Parts: sequence; structure tokens; C-alpha cells
Amino acid sequence: MSYTVSSVTKSENNKIYARQIAFVAAFILPTAKFLEAPSLLAKYAAGDLLLPTLLHFLLQAGILTALLIAASLSRSTISERISYAFGGFARIFYVLYAIYFLFSAILPLLDLEKFVYAAFFDTAPTTFGFALFFIVSAFLCCKDKNAIGRSADLCLFLFLIPFLALMVMSVSESDLTGLFPLFGEKFGDTMSAFTRTSPHFSDAVLLFPLIANLRYKKGDGAKILTGYGFGALFTLAFLAIFFGVYSSIAPREHYAFSKIAQYFPALSVVGRIDLIFIYLLTVVLIFYTCLPLQYTTHLLQKTFGIESKMIIAAVLNFGLYLFVLFCNKYYNSFYRVISGKLPFVFWLIADMLPLFCLLLPKNTQPPNAKTAVSSPRKKELQHVSKSRS
Amino acid sequence: MKKALPSEDILTYSFQTEDKTDCAIVYADGIVNKQLLGDLIARPLSALSLRDSAQAKTTSKIKNDGGMSALNREKVEESIKKATLFPELKQAETIEDSCKEILDGNSLLLIDGLDMGLIVGAKLLPVRTIMEPPTDVAVKGPREGFIEDVKTNMALVRKRLKTPNLQFQTVRVGKQSDTAVTVCWLEGICDPTIKEQIIKKLKSVQIDNVPDSSYIAAFLSPRKHSIFHTIGKTEKPDIFTAKIAEGRVGILVDGSPIALTAPFVLAEDLQSSEDYFISPFMATIFRFLRLISLFIAILLPAFYVSAQLFKMQLLPLNLMLTIASSVRELPLSPSMEMFVVLLLLEVLKEASIRMPKYVGMSLSVVGALVLGETAVSAGFLSTPAIIIVAFAGICLYTVPNFVETGSILRWVFLLVAGSLGPFGIVLLIAFLLYYLISTDAFGAPILAPFSPLISRDLRDSVLKYDLLSLRTRPRLFHSKNVTRLRTNDKK
Repeated sequence: MSYTVSSVTKSENNKIYARQIAFVAAFILPTAKFLEAPSLLAKYAAGDLLLPTLLHFLLQAGILTALLIAASLSRSTISERISYAFGGFARIFYVLYAIYFLFSAILPLLDLEKFVYAAFFDTAPTTFGFALFFIVSAFLCCKDKNAIGRSADLCLFLFLIPFLALMVMSVSESDLTGLFPLFGEKFGDTMSAFTRTSPHFSDAVLLFPLIANLRYKKGDGAKILTGYGFGALFTLAFLAIFFGVYSSIAPREHYAFSKIAQYFPALSVVGRIDLIFIYLLTVVLIFYTCLPLQYTTHLLQKTFGIESKMIIAAVLNFGLYLFVLFCNKYYNSFYRVISGKLPFVFWLIADMLPLFCLLLPKNTQPPNAKTAVSSPRKKELQHVSKSRS
Repeated sequence: MKKALPSEDILTYSFQTEDKTDCAIVYADGIVNKQLLGDLIARPLSALSLRDSAQAKTTSKIKNDGGMSALNREKVEESIKKATLFPELKQAETIEDSCKEILDGNSLLLIDGLDMGLIVGAKLLPVRTIMEPPTDVAVKGPREGFIEDVKTNMALVRKRLKTPNLQFQTVRVGKQSDTAVTVCWLEGICDPTIKEQIIKKLKSVQIDNVPDSSYIAAFLSPRKHSIFHTIGKTEKPDIFTAKIAEGRVGILVDGSPIALTAPFVLAEDLQSSEDYFISPFMATIFRFLRLISLFIAILLPAFYVSAQLFKMQLLPLNLMLTIASSVRELPLSPSMEMFVVLLLLEVLKEASIRMPKYVGMSLSVVGALVLGETAVSAGFLSTPAIIIVAFAGICLYTVPNFVETGSILRWVFLLVAGSLGPFGIVLLIAFLLYYLISTDAFGAPILAPFSPLISRDLRDSVLKYDLLSLRTRPRLFHSKNVTRLRTNDKK
């Protein structure tokens, strides 16, 4: 086969770099925590809202570390090792995670819809106003995994610029004394905040498909964990300032990032320029919301061996559109079921199951291939032995 | 030859040498330097005795059968070369080759008894002089521009890159036009796979006529229906050579003053040749200014409409009251009003390009006064809408290479803003960004160096570092020779 640029590009369509995974952790994952999580945390943990958050991050960092150790154990990717270990049965694993990602996409989706109606419209929005999102989502789902990595690269700018601008605008209005004393709330309330907000903090599982495709190199783990650390810092800083601005009324302030900077004094003169930054951050939020759907599409394609992702993406997004159209009024019930009744199912799949990657076989080549020589070298050796004889 | 080239612009000039050997020069009228042919070919040949000169050296090889007969080709060619002192003489073996050369502007010298022709490179194509290109005007820096002649353009490139590494390869494209498309690159700096891919694509082009390089760009573009261009275009040899020196491949098309470069990244559109001749700080400021202007040009009309229809908080209170008072009695909805004003702008723009210059003044009067002011005073349009469209229109011209794409995007954003408000705008931005990050041209992602992030290449993207910091070539092009600047100071 001739070596052409396009052939190289095609083979690298699913290639993802550690830097890009670190950027997903640092810039895409925190955005989802700026919507409903702050008000929920403030509701249950009040001034101690940073503690359950920290606990979540530590737990997720532990799982992430385990995944990275698993990835570092072999030169093969986790995905290759799963396929080798389970053969055809690996499909069960893929389907399980496809279903998980589909379900885990529902809450962010409903959050996004409510946020859009609150932050983007003064007037009553049309019923089909949110429909365009699913077209964009279907388009995103059709793209390869390297597009996720590239979007993470872009989010460095799309996240940092608006985030820093919003922080600068809101920090002057924030009174951080409300956060003290630490451990001022009951332990039970803190734990309640921890369990109630767990669907918002399942970060490791969202990085799992990317890490599973990463061909681990020395230093990758440090990069990804640093990225995740930055993401945690951004979230903690946001929560602290948010609670500093709203204090006791914070539990009633939904879609925190659309409100955090609205009391900046200059806005009364120049208009709500903070909305520009909020809209920029919404682009990242859209990428985040589509992330589990992209994973679902990839996993279903892998499971059923369908050539084109377009069909899967179209069916998936149309189904979700109908779901959102007819079921958004049951948002609270969904939330109660997912965070109240099903957290163990989510914990099992999101937090426990990935840990089994540590037990995967390190080698993905059949035993006889271990000693076999690569074909050009083999031919060369055969030639040498023939000439000697 | 007359059978092969029956057209009336193909002329034949016959004369005899001193020993009465018949000679003829066949050429295409209007594209040949006749004076050169007369002075350097016909006149010396008419004083030359071909038979004597050939016989004097190798009599055995010459058959003399009474009239004109087969002459020894090597000896005759040698004696012609000696007599004429003409630098561009080469043999033409077949009629097809001869026809191609004649149609390309060269002349064919035929001598009775000689079973081959001699191609005389006395081409004189009607070309315009080298001047500053209207699309790439620079206040500081070189002002030369490419012209429609590929040979002149090659010379302009060679003038700037006096290295044996600069290589040209010409591919003939077009069944009828037989246009010379010259690919140029710097050996050892350019990625050979990109060059080979371009040449392969050019060779596979099946088209009748190639009037301009845009035709070639359309064939080379990996996404045929994209509104974003994936091939770089320039009319300036200094920009062209700078890009080649970075590791890109250049394409010159005969008949077109616009040269192409590949691979292309979108950040190139924000760069101007002037950026390299002014302070890097100013260059960075200008590039940011262009970037912001681009966003304003594309998004301002859309945000104005969505602010009026869906999210009034986007505007400061006082401004909102001013706008409200000016649009209160308008018969059109905000999106319809913006649509009309934008349409007006596009029509005026199109007309001003096509219209003869002497009518231009009256067009400005009609456009600005009659259509603008009168429409406002008549209550058809509001002043803010006209101001916004005018400002957006001007902003777009800060990035001249993006005008077409920007215009289309402005319409699409307006459509989405009118129907879905700011959320539609955000969704469209997300869609376009994802589309762009997944677009590659010749192995280079067009949103690089931002996505994928290539931190070293950011030094000459929207930012512009000083010259001494740009020691290496862009990593994006996978150049083997990375260093482009060496200094004595050791940092």
C-alpha cells in the first residue's frame, strides 16, 4: 500500500493523546458542575459545600489513578485488552456501557434544556426550540474519537476565557466568610450532599473510554491527573465564589454560572456582557452533554459492527428528542430516581466496574506470537540460515 | 503541419538557405517574437550553406540524390546552433510534440531533407506588467504581484529563493486548454507525501479548460462542498515564498495571478504580509483586531436580532430604549428588517464591483442617501439596523480572504438567530467548531495550531512573536529540516 497522507490520517482517526484527555478533565468536565450542582450542594451542605465536592474529587481521582495504572501495565490499550480477554463476550461489556452512557446523558440533557430556556430566552421559547440541539448532537456523534480530543484542545480557549472573565466579574461581589467555619454543618448533611450530587461528579467513567483508547506513554498519568486537578480547582473556586455571592439564597439559584456575575456593577452601564461569556461557556457545555452520546454511538457501532455511525446517531438523538419533548416535565422524578434510588447502580458501573481493568491480561498477542519474529525480520533470518547451510 | 494545425492564426514563413535548401518556420500569430525569429533564425540561416557544412564533416553520412535529401541531423543541428546562437533550440520528434510547442507559443523550424523539426523558444505571450495586486495591498513590504504568465511567476519565486532545493514540476491540465500547472516546493523542507499527493491529484484531473487557479483549488480541496476554503491563495510572491519556506507546497497556474498553497490553516487568513515588517506587538494587536472584527462581522447582526426578539438583556437599558423608539413604528420584524438591510449591502457590494468606475460615484449617492437615509426617514428601516450592517460590512473586510465565507455565515447566523435566538447562535457555533476541528487538508487540521494544540506553532498564529523567537518551522507540516533561523546568542 502506498503511503499517503490520507491513509495516515484515516488510521489516526481514533487516536487520542494524554494532553487531550487532560484537557477534557480540566476544561470540559467542570462545566457541567456549574449548572445544578452548586445549588444542590448549597441546599444540603450550605457553607460546607466544598467538602462533599472535595470528597467527590478525591474518590474520582482514586478511580482515575486506578484506570491509569491499568493503562500503564501494558503496551496495548485497555480496549484491545478487553477485546482479547473476553473475545465476543466483550460486546456485553460495550452494550452495558452504551446503556449506561445513554442514561447518564439524560440528566445533563434535561439540565441543559432548562438552563437554555432560563438563560437564553426572556420571552416564552418555542416547543421545538431545543430540537436543533439534537441535530448538532447527531453530527457530533458521527465524528471519530480524535474529534473529541481536538474539541478538548479548543476548550482550553473556550473554557478559560469565559471562566476567568466570569470569576473576575463576580469575585468582587463575593463574601467568602460564609464558607467558614469549615465543618460548620452536620456530617449527615455533608454526606447527604455527597450522595445527592453523585450523578454530577461521575468524572472517571467519562474519561474511561478515552483512557481505554490511550496507548500509554511515560508521564501520561501525571498529565491526566494534573488536568483533573485543575478541573477540580476550577470547580472549587467557582463553588466558593458562587456561595460567596448568594450565601443563604444559593439553593434557590439554579444554573449557577448564568447568575454568578450578574451583580457586577459595570453591567448596569454596558448591558449583560457576562451573557457573552455564558454563551461561550455554553459551547463547552454542549460538547459535554454530547460526550456520553458520542460514547454510546461509538460503543454501539463497535458492538454491532455497523459501518456508518450516522444511522445510530440519528436514531439515538431522535429518541432522545422525543424523550425530552414529552418527559421534561418529569425532571424531578427522574432526578429522584437516579440520585435517590439508583445511585448504587450508577456507582457500580461508573466507579466499581472500571477498577476491574486492573485485572485484565497484560498481553494481547496469542502465546505463539510472543516468540514469533516480525515477518521482514523473519524473512531476513531465513535467508541468512539458508545461505549458511 | 497544415493538416494538424488548420487554424488561420498558424502561419508559415518560408525562406531558403544560401545553398537553396528550403526552410520554414511555423508559428502561432500573436504569441511569437517575430523580430527575434527574423534576426536570430531566418537571417543567419539564409546566409548558411547547410549542405556544405554537413558534407565538410561527414560526407559519408549524407546522401545526395539530386534534390533535397536526408541530411545528417546532428551535424545540421550543430551548424544551425552555431550560426544562430539562439539559446532555446530543441528537437521535436513527432508532429504531436511540435503542435503542442507551437500552440504554447514556440516556433517550429523545418528544413527540407531533415526528418525532424527544431523548436525555437521565441515565445512572446501578451502579458501585463508586474504590479501591486489589488487584493493584497501592503503599506509596508514588497509590492510585486503575480501575473497571468506562469513563467514570469516562476521567475518571481526563483528571484526570492535562490537555492537548488527550490524545485518546480509542471503538470499539463485541461484537455482543450492544456494549461501548465506548476507545483513548487523546497526539497528537504517540504513533506514529500504532500507534494506527491498534490501531483497525483493534478494528474488525475479530467477537465476541458482551466481558466483560473480556483478550478485547480476545487479539485485539490478535500471537502468539495465546504464553505471554508482548504487551500491557501495569494497574489504576492513574497507571501508565496514565505509559505514555501515554511514547508508548504505551492501551485502556480498559467493564466492566473492567484497562486495556491497547501496545506492551509484558517489562522493564515488572519495574517497579513505587513505583520512581518512591523513590530511584533503591533502585529499581534492587529491580528486580534482582525479576529474580533471577524466575529463582529459575522455575529453582530445575528445578536442584534436575537436581542430584540428573544433576549433584551443583551443590550444596555439606555441603548435598548433608543432602539425601541427607533423600531417602534417599523412595518418589518427585526429579522426581516436585518435581512433587507443585509441584502441591500450585498447588492451594493456586488454592483460596485461590476459597475464601471465612472458610475461608482452615483452608486454611492444612490446607496448611501436614497436607499439608506430615505428608507429610514420613510419609516421602512431603522437607523440602528443600518449602522449595525454597515459596521459588520466594514469589519468583514479586515480579513479579505474570508469575505465570501463570512458573508455566507452571516446569513446563516441571521437565519438561526431570527428563529431560535441566542441559543441557535451558540448551537451553530458549536456545530461549526466541530466541523472545523474534524476537517483536515493534506494531513493538516485546518484549525491548527489551536486544535490540535501545537503550542510552538502558536507563536505565529493570532499571536506574533518576534523574528528571533521563530527559530523553527511550523511543526504542523512535518518538515525534516526544522531549523529556519540560527543566532549566535545562546539562550
